[in-house]
Amino acid sequence: MPSSEPIIHIDSELCTGCRRCAAVCPVDAITGEPGEPQTVDAHRCVICGQCVQICTAYAPDHLEASDGLKAKRLQRGQLPSVREPLFAAYSTGQALEVKRALADSALFKVVQCAPAIRVSLAEEFGLPLGTLTPGKMAAALRRLKFDRIYDTNFGADVTIMEEGTELIGRVLSGERLPMFTSCCPAWVKHAETAAPELLDHLSSCKSPMQMVGALVKTYGAKQDGVDPAKIYSVAVMPCTCKEFECSREEMEVDGLREVDVVITTRELAHLIKDAGIDFVNLPDEPFDSPLGLYSGAGSIFGVTGGVMEAAIRTGYELVTHETIPNLQLDFVRGEEGLRTATVQLGELELKVAVVAGLKYVSAVLNQVKAGHCPYHFIEVMGCPEGCVSGGGQPKLLLETLRKTAYQARKSSVYRHDSHQQVRKSHENPAIIKLYKDFLGEPLGHVPHHLLHTTYQSREKNVSPISAGRKGGKL
Amino acid sequence: MNHAASNSLVIAEAAKCIGCKACELACFAVHNRDNGVGTAVGTVTMPVLPRLYVIRTDSFTMPVQCRQCENAPCAGACPVQAIRQQDGVIAIDAEACIGCKACALACPFGAISLYKAYSGGAELPQPLLQERRDSRLQRKTRITAYKCDLCRNTELPGGSAAGEGAGGRGSSAAAAQDRNPFPACVAVCPEKALRLVEAGTGRSRSLNREGGTF
Repeated sequence: MPSSEPIIHIDSELCTGCRRCAAVCPVDAITGEPGEPQTVDAHRCVICGQCVQICTAYAPDHLEASDGLKAKRLQRGQLPSVREPLFAAYSTGQALEVKRALADSALFKVVQCAPAIRVSLAEEFGLPLGTLTPGKMAAALRRLKFDRIYDTNFGADVTIMEEGTELIGRVLSGERLPMFTSCCPAWVKHAETAAPELLDHLSSCKSPMQMVGALVKTYGAKQDGVDPAKIYSVAVMPCTCKEFECSREEMEVDGLREVDVVITTRELAHLIKDAGIDFVNLPDEPFDSPLGLYSGAGSIFGVTGGVMEAAIRTGYELVTHETIPNLQLDFVRGEEGLRTATVQLGELELKVAVVAGLKYVSAVLNQVKAGHCPYHFIEVMGCPEGCVSGGGQPKLLLETLRKTAYQARKSSVYRHDSHQQVRKSHENPAIIKLYKDFLGEPLGHVPHHLLHTTYQSREKNVSPISAGRKGGKL
Repeated sequence: MNHAASNSLVIAEAAKCIGCKACELACFAVHNRDNGVGTAVGTVTMPVLPRLYVIRTDSFTMPVQCRQCENAPCAGACPVQAIRQQDGVIAIDAEACIGCKACALACPFGAISLYKAYSGGAELPQPLLQERRDSRLQRKTRITAYKCDLCRNTELPGGSAAGEGAGGRGSSAAAAQDRNPFPACVAVCPEKALRLVEAGTGRSRSLNREGGTF
C-alpha cells in the first residue's frame, strides 16, 4: 500500500450522504451535500478515524455475489478471509503486508502493542466490552510468529522520563510555555496544519510508539545480537493516524524506519482469525524483555488524562524528592473535553490542562496565540476519550453502546494500572537499566538522537501526505 | 372503538430520516446473538440481514418495516401456518417456514424478505434438497422469511461490560433485564425518526430521554 495515498476514505458507492461522519469530524474535513456521497479533505483530515467508527452505511450482501465485496476488501488492504461487513467510511489497512512479512524467515519480526489494545481486542472475539487480555494478546502475537513481543507501554515510560524532564526544564526557565504533549499524531498533524506558529510549544518527544521503534533497532538489536537492518518492526495501534506517523520522514534511526508498519486493533483481530488461532482459549503469556516491561504509569497512556497522570507521578518525585502521597490522581481523570487542575509540586504550582477531542483544542490554541494561556502543561488527545476510543479500535454495531464501551475500556486501563507492582515510570527497573546501560541522562546526547524530533508547518497548499515517506522492506 | 386487541408497531417519519442505516444494523445485531454477533463489527461472520429496510427515492429516505397488520395478509397466505398472532406481534416461526414466498407477495408494504438461514454464524443446510455448486452436488441452504418482530425476545448483545462501574447490564443478570425495552431501531436512530406506537393506547413513544435506554 503506497503511503502517498490517504489513509481515510469514504466509498462513494456505499455512502448514503447521512453526514454523521461530518458531525463527528473534529476538524471539518468531510464535505458534501446531504444525500450525496461525502469526500474527505486530506489536507485538513487528521486521520483520527472517528468517521470510520460512526459510519453505519454498510455494503449490501448482493455485492458479494458479483465479487464486488472481494474487490473492495482488496482495495482496503483487508485479508481475503475477513467476513465482517464493509462500511462506507474506512481506513486502508496493512494486514496483508504484515502477513507476508510474518512468513519471511529472513526477517526478525518485532511487534509492540499500544496500551489501549489489551482492553479492547477481546471484543473482536465476542468477549464483553473492555475485557482485559494482555496475556492472551502476547500469546496470540507469539503464535503469529513474531520473534519478540514488546510493548508501547515501555515507550510510554521512556516518554515520561524525557517529557517530564523537558517540562521541568521549561517551567524552571519559563521558556516555550505552555508545553503540549506530542504522543497523539492526530493532534500533532492538526497543530502543524492549524497552528504552525505554535509548534515550538509541542514537546520535542517522539510518541511512545516511535520511541519503542527507535529502541528496537538500537538497544533491542544489541541485546538480541541481531542486525538492525533485518528487523521488521510492527506496531499494533488503536489509531488510524499512527500509520501516517510511522511514515513521516523524521521517524528514522540511522537510516532505518523506526516502525516499518502499523496495524490497528481490528486488523490484529483479522490476522489472529486468519491464522485460525482460538483467541478466547489462549493461555496468558508474558511479554519479552527488556522492551516489554512496563509500569502502571505507562499503561494509563491509553485514556484521556493518562499522560498527565503518569507525568505528575514522576514529576512530583523528581521535583520534591518525596514520595507522592496518592497515586490515583482523580482530578485529571474524567471525560469532559477540557479539564484543568493545579498541582502543588513542592514550591512549584503547576497548572495543567487535559484536552480530550480535537474540537476542544482551538480555544486553548487561541489563548496561547493571544499570550494569556495560564497553563504550564497541556495534554491533547485527538479522540473523545483518548486512545480507548481511537479510530482503529473495535467498531460498535450499536451506537447506544458507545458510552458503555468507552467506560468499560477506561475502567480496564485503570484496573490494569492498579494491579501493577510498579506504578511510576522512573521506578520501572527496565527503564532504570535502559538509562544506565544505554541512554545516559534524559535529554542527553543519545536520547536526543533517538527519542526527540522536530515538526513542520503544513499550512495550506502543502500536501500533508507527500511530506511523509515510507521505507518499508516489502 | 376498542383498541385493546390491536398490535403495536414502529413507524418512521421520512422528514427526519437521514438514511444512515443505523436502524438496519442495530436490527441485525440484536437478532443474531445466536450467530455469534456481539458488540463489535468484527464478530460478524454472516451477511447483515435486517428486518427493516431503509428505502430511498429521489426526494426522501425512510425505514419501512412490518406494520403488524391486524388481519395480517401474510398469515392468511402462509400455507403452513408459520405466521401467527403472538403476544401482540405478528410472528414468523422460522422453524416451520417453508420459504414459499407467499407472505412476501401478500405483504402490502414489502416488509418481508426471504434470506438464507444461519446457525452459529454459518449457513444452515436444507435437509433434503441438493444443488450443484462449484461443479458438485451440495446441500442447499435453508431459506426463511424474516420480518420485524418488535425485538420481542431479543437481548442486548455483548453481555456485561467488563469494566468496573461500566453501567452495562450483564448476561448474568436476570434475562428479563437484558430484554430490549425499545425496538433496537427506535433506540439507535440518531435523528429520532422512528417511534413505537403502542397497542391499544394510541400513544407513541420515541426515544426522547437523554442517554437512551440501553
